[in-house]
Amino acid sequence: MSVLSQLNVIQVKGLNKTVSTFEGDLDILSDINFTVKSGESVAIVGTSGSGKSTLLSLLAGLDTGSAGEVFLDGAALHKLDEEERARLRAEKVGFVFQSFMLVQSLTALENVMLPAELAGDSGAKQQASELLEKVGLSHRVSHYPSQLSGGEQQRVAIARAFIGSPKILFADEPSANLDSKNGHLIEKLLFDLNKQNGTTLILVTHDEALARQCDRIIHIEGGQLEKIRDGEGATVHVV
Amino acid sequence: MWFKLALTLFWRELRRGELTIIFAAIALAVLTVFSLSSVTERIRMNIEQKSADFIAADRRLVSNHALNDDYIIEAERLGLNTARQMFFDSMLFANDELVLGSIKAVSNGYPLRGVVKLKDDFAQAEYEVRDVPKSGEVWLSEGMFYSLGLAVGDQVEIGVGMFRASKILVSEPDAPFFSLAGNKRVLLNYTDIEATQAVQPGSRVFYRMLFSGDEALLTDYYGWLKPQLRENQRWQGIKDRQSPLGENLARSESFLLLAGLFGIMLAAVAMAVSAKRYCERQYDPVAMMKTLGGSRATIRNIFLLHLSMVTAFSVSMGIVIGYGLQAVATDYLASFMDTQLPAAGFKPWFLAITIGVVCALMFSLKPLLDLFDIPPLRVLRRNLGDKLAVSRVHMALSVTTIFALMWFFSGELKTTLFLFGGTAILMLVLFGVSRLLFSAGRKLGLSPGSSWSLAIATLQKRANANAVQLISFALAIKLMLFLFVLKNDLISDWQMQVPADAPNAFLININESEVSDIQDFFTQNQITHTEFFPIFRGRANALNGEKFARSASKQEGEEQDEEATRGAGRELNLTWMTQLPDGNEVVDGTWFDADSTELEVSVSRGMAQGIGIEVGDTLTFLVNERSFDAKVTSLRSVDWGSLKPNFVMIFNPPVAGKFPVTYFSAAQFGEGDEKTVSTLLRQHPTVSMIDIKSRLEQAQSMIAQVSLAISFVLAIVLTSGALVLISQVQASLAERMQEIVILRTLGARGRLIKLATLYEFLLLGALAGFVAALVSDVTLLIIQRELFEVDGKLHPYIWALGPASGALFVAAIGYFMVASTMRQNTQGLLRKLA
Repeated sequence: MSVLSQLNVIQVKGLNKTVSTFEGDLDILSDINFTVKSGESVAIVGTSGSGKSTLLSLLAGLDTGSAGEVFLDGAALHKLDEEERARLRAEKVGFVFQSFMLVQSLTALENVMLPAELAGDSGAKQQASELLEKVGLSHRVSHYPSQLSGGEQQRVAIARAFIGSPKILFADEPSANLDSKNGHLIEKLLFDLNKQNGTTLILVTHDEALARQCDRIIHIEGGQLEKIRDGEGATVHVV
Repeated sequence: MWFKLALTLFWRELRRGELTIIFAAIALAVLTVFSLSSVTERIRMNIEQKSADFIAADRRLVSNHALNDDYIIEAERLGLNTARQMFFDSMLFANDELVLGSIKAVSNGYPLRGVVKLKDDFAQAEYEVRDVPKSGEVWLSEGMFYSLGLAVGDQVEIGVGMFRASKILVSEPDAPFFSLAGNKRVLLNYTDIEATQAVQPGSRVFYRMLFSGDEALLTDYYGWLKPQLRENQRWQGIKDRQSPLGENLARSESFLLLAGLFGIMLAAVAMAVSAKRYCERQYDPVAMMKTLGGSRATIRNIFLLHLSMVTAFSVSMGIVIGYGLQAVATDYLASFMDTQLPAAGFKPWFLAITIGVVCALMFSLKPLLDLFDIPPLRVLRRNLGDKLAVSRVHMALSVTTIFALMWFFSGELKTTLFLFGGTAILMLVLFGVSRLLFSAGRKLGLSPGSSWSLAIATLQKRANANAVQLISFALAIKLMLFLFVLKNDLISDWQMQVPADAPNAFLININESEVSDIQDFFTQNQITHTEFFPIFRGRANALNGEKFARSASKQEGEEQDEEATRGAGRELNLTWMTQLPDGNEVVDGTWFDADSTELEVSVSRGMAQGIGIEVGDTLTFLVNERSFDAKVTSLRSVDWGSLKPNFVMIFNPPVAGKFPVTYFSAAQFGEGDEKTVSTLLRQHPTVSMIDIKSRLEQAQSMIAQVSLAISFVLAIVLTSGALVLISQVQASLAERMQEIVILRTLGARGRLIKLATLYEFLLLGALAGFVAALVSDVTLLIIQRELFEVDGKLHPYIWALGPASGALFVAAIGYFMVASTMRQNTQGLLRKLA
């Protein structure tokens, strides 16, 4: 593995996603190229329907592109089958979703432990408790999702995302379902933990203010990469 | 590692009630099958045991020629119990009186089943024995003692032999059910036949061999015997014998079988619906687990373990509850019937466990496979993997499984095909009808904003889904209505056959001069009785001038099958009547014209079909060596199963006065009337009395037993039906949840939503109930005719009962479920949907 690919934790080359509809093929994403360095935080922004969530799903290996290549920490996602991609996610990826996606029948602590348990790691309880303490929920460990507020549920989801110390964290509109106070709290938590753990963060949002907290911002419009800016607003790359 | 996670998830799902319906459905299928099959098995064994009493054996071999001794030798070699019988008529002589008796010679071992009832003297109480007269002794019926002027212990001559009349014969288990030949009955030891010298070459003699023992041994034995049987030798069990009991037994078995099948069908539907719903609710957790790196194998293991645990749990629960239920039910039945029910053996266990496991596997298989296929991308695209329509594979798999289970349970392909095919066609028709009804409903205009218009709008909007729901509601209601009506019909039918005030004794051989005396005797002693019917003996010996080949008189031992073709040329009991007797129906031609002066005759359908008699034919009869012609003016269906005297030939009144006749009447004697009966028989020694009291009581008690069993079965099936309705309403409410939340969020008052749901379910339930009533009544007609072979009739009351019960039940469940949802705040509901 080259030094360059070690630095570039995500590499996207000529990525396309086409879906079949009744009216013919529809391009969701076309010819996307960019790289993300290890430890970097990148926001993917765009209007609704621009293709940003699709891009996230392809980067995380939740779906596969129609053409092009995606490398995740050196692994060629486009060459892996679903099982191999799942294994890769278990080792290297954490997720935070807009709708929290907690398993309703598990407690806060068990939800946090879930990725570790799925990966066969039996010693995750200690780490999960610590993470819940970090997100301020040490008093809620045995509560079920339905007994928690939206903000609390998302904090559990963040704790879950960091268990197993993933290399890359994907967050899809993490504060969109929350009020602004809770939203900001969640965003702060996410960035703080990200920094503490040295994780690479890929954040999908339509919130400009949130995007600006990232090192770089990728603008997607109409399925195409429009431009890449740095966090301060300077355009670093125009397609 | 996945094991611990799977266990945690399982317990939580169980505690959250997610598994309740699926659990209840499997448990119910198991307990239905277990309790039904053990109760019916135990009752069937008991009824069969009792029924076996009626032929005094488990099987018998019947012939009018001597039977080969090897038959007995082989049966005994196999370990079966055996006995022999020989029937013949012979004159009995004592005190200068000569009477023709029906002799039944029985070998040691008789009766193999049932008991012989005897009295030591006229005034003494009867008692039961399982024995035969000692050599040199005979047991005579009470009437015989009077006719011959004998006292118990006196000597009587039979043929050339001299015997001691040692006991009064009250009844034998295998006495003919009803025979106008009289009750001049004599029980003789088989070894004494020779001593009478009454059986000579050419004598009319009938032979029986009786067998009892293990069912498998009997089957083996029949396997050996069958190839050797000649045309005039017949192998019979209780079911082959034409009697009300045999017929009722077959009908109740059909009912219990049907009920069991319906129970399985309903539990299977509940299972299929709840399994699909359970799996759908796992879509999000599975997508999440896959996203978090859970492998397909891990997820498969987790949910297969869930399925195994649910199955193991619910099958065990089903067995435990089923065992308790059947124990309670059979204890109750046993104490009610004052009998002991035999243990059911391993069959119910095997059936119940197999059906439970197969049910669980087959109905969950497709939803589970769908669940394993849920893409991780669902975490971003929430509706990915949702399938609006029921998968065809799931449908096909469920349908095949239901069919296989029904076949497995019943072991009868024809009944299964009949029920299954019927239901399948009905479902298709229902789907079409309901689609039409819902689209027609669109034209209904109601003011917007009312609960009714919201209810109707919802019904229309979800026409397709509602059509599916309507079918399952209708199916459940149909099956319940169907069994309910069938149960009522069957039981009332039986009770009609054996009413509580049925005559329990027949008096025959009454001379014309005795009629008024006996009538007065009845009035004095307040004994209810029927009118006195004239009887004369004769045979039909030619049809349209062409003579029948055979001529013989009927005698006990010869088959009692009146419908058989052997009726031709045989000595028959003939009568005349003005009115068509109860239980008879004219199937061709017309009943006698009161003004007709010509001789006319009405013939039973069975006899007419056997010999080829048609309306308009002329039959020639021979009575007392006098020949006369009568025109056939009608054919009648006759209920041979009833406990009433029936006639193959009935003349019109102009036949009266042509021949000497005797009369018969039927009377109802009460408990303590023994003395009255004795007085009557002493005063009129030539009159014979046939006491069918014990027969009636046996029949009535059996009917009560079977009725109770049927009610019990109905209760189980109704529970299954209720479960289907609950699971359906629950599934449909889950789909409605989103709408309810939106309406709630938009400020709709809880009352509006609750009422709209109430009305919607009321309409849906009433519609389903109506269709169910319609369909039940038609299928009932067909099933009663095809399966139960009784004349079906329409049941107007279920046309009201169906819609009313459907509406009430469905609406009540729907309302309570929505009401409990409404108690949560809107935020809570929104969170549940997220």
